[in-house]
Formats: sequence, C-alpha cells, structure tokens
Amino acid sequence: KRRRVSENQEIEDRLESLILRVGEKSTSSLESNLEGLASVLEADLGTFRSKILRILTDCAIKMPEKCTIYTTLVGLLNAKSFNFGGEFVEYMVRTFKDSLKACKWDAARYALRFLADLVNCHVLSASSLLQLLDNMIDAANEDNVPQVRRDWYVFAILSTLPWVGRELYEKKESALEHLLVSVEVFLNKRGKKHHNALRVWAIDVPHPQEEYLDCLWSQIRKLKQDNWSEKHIPRPYLAFDSILCGALQHTLPTILPPPHHDSYLYPMPWVVFRMFDYTDCPEGPIMPGAHSIERFLIEEHLHSIIDMYKLERKDCAAHLLNFPYKLKIPLEYCIVEVIFAELFHMPTPRCLEIAYGSILIELCKLQPSTMPQVLAQATEILFMRIDSMNVSCFDRFVNWFSYHLSNFQFRWSWEDWESCLTLDDEHPKPKFIRETMLKSMRLSYYQRITEILPESFSRFVPVKAEPDYKYAKDDAASLPGTMAAHQLVVSIRQKCTPEEVLGVLKDLPNPRSEEEADSRFNPLKIDVFVQTLLNLGSKSFSHSFAAISKFHYVFKILAESEEAQICVLRNMFELWHHHQQMMIVLVDKMLKTQIVECSAVANWIFSKEMVGEFTKMYLWEMLHLTIKKMNKHVIKLSGELNEAREKLARAESSTSESEDEEDSAKKKTENAEKPTEEMVERMEERLEAAQADQKNLFLIVFQRFIMILSEHLVRCDTDGRDYNTHWYKWTIGRLQQVFLEHHEQVQKYSSTLETLLFTQDLDPHILEVFQQFVSLQS
Amino acid sequence: TKAEQDKLLRVSTTLYVGSLSFYTTEEQIHELFSRCGDIRRIIMGLDKYKKTPCGFCFVEYYTRADAENCLRYINGTRLDDRIVRTDWDAGFIEGRQYGRG
Repeated sequence: KRRRVSENQEIEDRLESLILRVGEKSTSSLESNLEGLASVLEADLGTFRSKILRILTDCAIKMPEKCTIYTTLVGLLNAKSFNFGGEFVEYMVRTFKDSLKACKWDAARYALRFLADLVNCHVLSASSLLQLLDNMIDAANEDNVPQVRRDWYVFAILSTLPWVGRELYEKKESALEHLLVSVEVFLNKRGKKHHNALRVWAIDVPHPQEEYLDCLWSQIRKLKQDNWSEKHIPRPYLAFDSILCGALQHTLPTILPPPHHDSYLYPMPWVVFRMFDYTDCPEGPIMPGAHSIERFLIEEHLHSIIDMYKLERKDCAAHLLNFPYKLKIPLEYCIVEVIFAELFHMPTPRCLEIAYGSILIELCKLQPSTMPQVLAQATEILFMRIDSMNVSCFDRFVNWFSYHLSNFQFRWSWEDWESCLTLDDEHPKPKFIRETMLKSMRLSYYQRITEILPESFSRFVPVKAEPDYKYAKDDAASLPGTMAAHQLVVSIRQKCTPEEVLGVLKDLPNPRSEEEADSRFNPLKIDVFVQTLLNLGSKSFSHSFAAISKFHYVFKILAESEEAQICVLRNMFELWHHHQQMMIVLVDKMLKTQIVECSAVANWIFSKEMVGEFTKMYLWEMLHLTIKKMNKHVIKLSGELNEAREKLARAESSTSESEDEEDSAKKKTENAEKPTEEMVERMEERLEAAQADQKNLFLIVFQRFIMILSEHLVRCDTDGRDYNTHWYKWTIGRLQQVFLEHHEQVQKYSSTLETLLFTQDLDPHILEVFQQFVSLQS
Repeated sequence: TKAEQDKLLRVSTTLYVGSLSFYTTEEQIHELFSRCGDIRRIIMGLDKYKKTPCGFCFVEYYTRADAENCLRYINGTRLDDRIVRTDWDAGFIEGRQYGRG
C-alpha cells in the first residue's frame, strides 16, 4: 500500500509541475502544450480530481498574469468533461467569496477576472457574469457603508472589463451599457476629498495626477470607443475557437457580496502616478497614452511583479526586465515610473523604501547600457518638478537619491543644476541639494562630500559634524558653569559614580527666580552636566550611549519635569547642532531609556529655540521617530492584552468541556499559562494609560501646528502679504505628513481632534488638511 | 553543539557584517542599516592590538523581520564604495569584536 501512496504522490507532483509551468518558454507552441496538458489532465481527472481543482485555482490567484492561459486550459477541460467544468466554476466561486470575506481584495479581483475570462472560453454564460457584476454594482450603491468599500466594488468591475468587455459588448450590448451607466452615476456622486492628500505633485502640469477610479474610468471609456479591442492581453483561447464553441456553458450561481462588517479593512484610494509620456522616450517603441487601457494593464502587471518578487531584489529586477511584452513598449521608462509610483505611494509605500532603492541598483547592474540613463532622466524630471512635490515624497526622494549616489561613487552632473544657486535657501530645489548632501555625508564622510561637489556648490557642503563645547573655548572663563564643568571632566575621567557627579554640581546656583512655577530643576546643573557628559562621549555613538547609561541616574534626578527634560534636549542641541544624525540617535536613546518623554520632544521641536531648524528634514525625522515609538508601545500593549484575554476565554471554555485524557493534559498547560482576571485588569490599565499618553502627544503636535500656522496666516493677512511662502508650504506639508504617516493611529482620535482642535472656526487652509485625512477611510 | 548553534541562528536578530573599509565608522553603518529597522546596537570589530576598526562589525536589530530585510536589501550593496557582506550571527559575545585586522 505504501508503494501506491508514493506512486500517487509522484504523479500528483508531476501534474502540479506541468500545470505550474505551462506557458513558460518551450520548444513547442503554447497551443500544442495546452492541448497536450488538457489530454493528460483529462486522463487523470478520475483519481486526482480535487488535487487538479486546487492547483488550477491556486494558479489563477497566484499567477494572475497567466490568467488567460489557465482559462483556456479550463475551457479545453470543460469541452472534454462538462462535469469537471462545473466543479471548477463552483470551486472558483467559493474562492471568490472566501477572498471577499477574508478581505483579500486582490485575490478576489483575480478570481473575478478569471470567472470573467471563462466567459471568453465558453465555460460561463455572459448573462450570468453580468448578473454578478450587477450585484456588485448594487453593493457599491449601498447606503451606510464606507466609501472605500463601495469604491472597491466599482474598481473590481472596471478592472475586469479589459478581459471581457468585448465579449459582453458582442453578446449583451444593452446590459453592458446599463452597467456602465450605473458606474458613471456612481462616479459622479462620489466624494474625493482625499484626492489632494494623496497626490505626489500639487499641480497637474505636465501630467494630471488622477484619482485612481477616475483614471480607470477614462481608460475604460476609451476602450469602449475603440470597440473594446486592446493590444496587451494574450488570448490563447482564440486558437481553440471551434473546440470551445462546441462546449456547453455553465451558469454562475447567484453571488451576493458579503455584507459590510466593522472589522473589514478595505484598500485605501490612491492617485495614479505619472512622470513620463511619449515625448520623454523619443527612441524605440511609443509609450501608451495616459488613458489607454494598455497603460493600466502594463502598470498593473509591473506592480504585481514587484509584489511577487520584492523579497528577492535580483529576481525582481530580472523579472521586470524580462517583461513579456518588452519589445512593444519603452520598458525601462515603464519600470522606472512604476517603481517611483511605489516609492512615492501615499500615505506610505508598500515596501521599505530601501527595497525600491536596492531594486533600482540591481536594474542598473543588469541593464547598464540603458537603465542608468533612464534613471538619471527620471531624477532630472523629479528635480525639475520638485517645487510642487509633497513633503513626504520630498523626503523619500532625498533618502533614495543619497542612497543611490552612495552606491555609484557619488557621480552626478551637478553643474546642470547650477541655475538653482541663485534661488532662496528655502526653495525646494536648493533645499533638495542641501538635504541630499547631509544624507550623503551620513553615508560617507566630510572630506568626500567636499570632493564630489563642484566649487560653485560649496554652500551646499554641510558643516563638519563636530561638537561645539562652550566650556573649552577661550571665552569660557566668563561662564558661570565653567569651573564645575572642568571639575566634572576630571571626575568622569577618573570613573566617578553618579552620586559624585551630583556632588560636583551641587553648588551651582539656580539662575531661575523663586517665583517661577517649577523651580525644582536647575537649568545650570543640566547645562553643565549634559554638555560635558555628551562632549566626553563625543567620539562615537557607542561612547555617547555608554556615557548616558552610566549616568542615567543623574539624568533622572536632574530632569524630572517635562520642562527640565526640554532643557536636557536644548543642551544636547547646543552641543551637537552641527551633527544632525547624532541628535537623532541621542533623542532616540533618551526616549528608549526614558530620560525624556515623547511629549517633551514634541514640545521642544516646536519651541522658539528651534525656529531656525524648523524646515530642516532631520527635525521631522525626530518627530516621526518619537511618534512611532509611542505608537509601537500602544500596539505592543494592546497585542499583549488581546492575547491574555483570548487565553483567559479559552481556559474558561475548556473547563466545562469533555474530560478525556488528552484534553485534560492540554488544559493543564493552558491553565499554567492562564492569566488571572487581575493580571488582565492591570494590562487594561496600562494600555489605557499608554493611549492617554498617545492621545496627548497627538494633541500637542496638532495644537502646536495650528498655533504657528494660524499665527502666520493672521499676520500675513494684517500685513497684506501673500501667506503662501516657502515656510508655509513646508509647515503645512509637515502637518499633512503627520496625519498620513501615522494615519492608522491618528484615526482613533479623529473625533477628539475634531471637537477639540479642528473646529469649524479654524482657518480653512488648516482645516482642509484634517478633512482630507478623515476622508481617506470614510 | 552544531544543533544549538543552528537553533540560535534561526532566531537571531544579529548580523555579522564583513568586508568593510577600515575607515568606515559606526555612524555610517548606523545610517545605512537603520534604513531596514530600529537598531539595538552596533559592535565594531577592532584590531586585537591596536584597538582600531578592522573591517567588520555586528549589527543587532530588535526584530528578526528587520534583520531579514537587511539581508535582502543591504547585503551585496555598497557602503564607502565597498560591497558589504552580511550574514546571520548567533549573537554577540564579549570578546568577539577583536579580530586579526
């Protein structure tokens, strides 16, 4: 018997590999391979029926780019065995429904596409597919469900039409027309407040930044004008027309989309990123127009390749360059546009930013004759249009470019950008060069940066990242803390204890007057201690970290209140203002070791002392790392609480059930892990406290934004000046960035924010940022 | 034992980073490697006698997932014009930072 099992296993494996590989490069034609495979499978339908059903369905979902190959195969099988065809349809329908219930939106779309393409293969009747699409339109027109749900149903319908539009047009023209009218009505009523928040560029010149459903709708209308004929999808079933026409068709059962549930997460809307048109790629094949359906199909295919191979950057690059229709399109341009679309995706990219950077590096290595040039052209275009780029994308562009340069010896023709030397420092172009140099210096070193830039660009060379220790300067004698500072240096070098440090600082006078609210802290002590300690540890990050952890106790004693913590941060800044990366890691360290709280960092960033730093990237890097730290903490606590609750519930339910041996053994281990009610209560309290802190942090950040922006707007109004300055654009962009980058966590406090801060009497410019954010998941 | 070692490697969040330039600093490594996630610590490899950097280091992340991304996206790319190599490490133990230079 064992022999039989292993034999069967062997056959199953062989079938699986045959099915998986059909459509790959082969010496014989696809048609003859499909015909051969259909015969092999037909012979095995008896024994391996369920296995074959499962593999085919898996292929349909996991290799959507081979959809039409597999529908043809199913069509051929249906012609041989009507029963099998029916079972397959049933299986696919179940997959579609399960995917909808599991919120696997892409899988659902691929299942739907497959069902639609089965109409082309005469497996399913056109009218039953139309019935399904009508049911989906009904779901889109439901009231009291999130717009993102309704949008998805329309997107699913529209993105299926390139496959089946022609067939529906030929067989059921009026029903198709009716469907399209329903879609148009839906789109005309649809709110699009989110559109502006998701755009990479604020203006539509040279390319409109279209909302994804609007863009797809235009593409579908164009397709309809072209009598539903497109040039991208291979249709192997056309070769088998005579066989397939002879087969009987099935009818889809009635499929009703599962009703909305509050736990369902739908895809967020997006904006279609466009940076190239046919004039940008003058040689070779022509770039399909923005509203041609081919552009949509190519982009979708390239995105799915990235998604499939994102974990293996080399494979990813190779598959992108091996795109099946590469001779018909300007492939490098399409790839670069799609990768930047992912990198600039709002609110956040799907992968790590560095994943895209490393894929671009591989592409340059694999195709050195064309790829680097196209990428340079893309960089040039992005730089030319940077004036209207949103702030999050500006940051990502800087991060990518500095990383890319560091992988290619920092070679770049800076001279081409000489025209921006005369621009205002706050203008996005000089800002981009300066920030890129700062990031490049982090990856490299000062001397190198001075060498890569031409002389005329010397103003963009960052200041050398050294500490600025005032107690060692010539005029230090006049400072009140110098004596103590010098003594502290000696003591720490002699490996003194934290208590001894406090002893050295003991007699420093408190410069604050008695009346000040919180005179418990002494800013002079903090000044001498923080600057001296950090200067002693200035050799490297590790030295600084070691110094901080050794004298952690001193920090805690000197800086208990938030005001005192801000004072610590201010002194860190005074010492390290030339070393942005150091300040970032120090803030990170002091948050982790609880020397400073998140709220202190936020208040410090918005404080008067930091006005000069306010439009610099690193400051926002700090704010975002602070918010992320808070968010992580809350997510961790709520995860732990949920786990404990589940364990408790499981343990309770198992006590009442059967008592056989195995069960009771299991119960014992479960009971050992079982948390007490009291433990769960304590966890709830901790989570509540953390959420209160988180809410407080967001309130501080947003309130500070509102204050400075309102002040600016009012001042410009009274002075009769244009409010729309560089400073204003950076600042409102940063506000937008906080909303978008942390949208999942901010979401929880939407209503609090609306009642406390973003009230109707606020300036509409500021209020709009909030409303755009709210509409993201509405 | 070999089995214990393998087990450590499977759960490790530490990477051994090799073929660095002797001049590459902890700061540079931090900048590049933190692009894959939050770093717990970096331990520079030092020459046993001179106590100067000698071309390798250990980077420890907080999570396994971040370390995996580092292997995916940083291994084989450049830092300071040199191709860096990263590999799983069973976890740093005091003393291992001293190399032969």
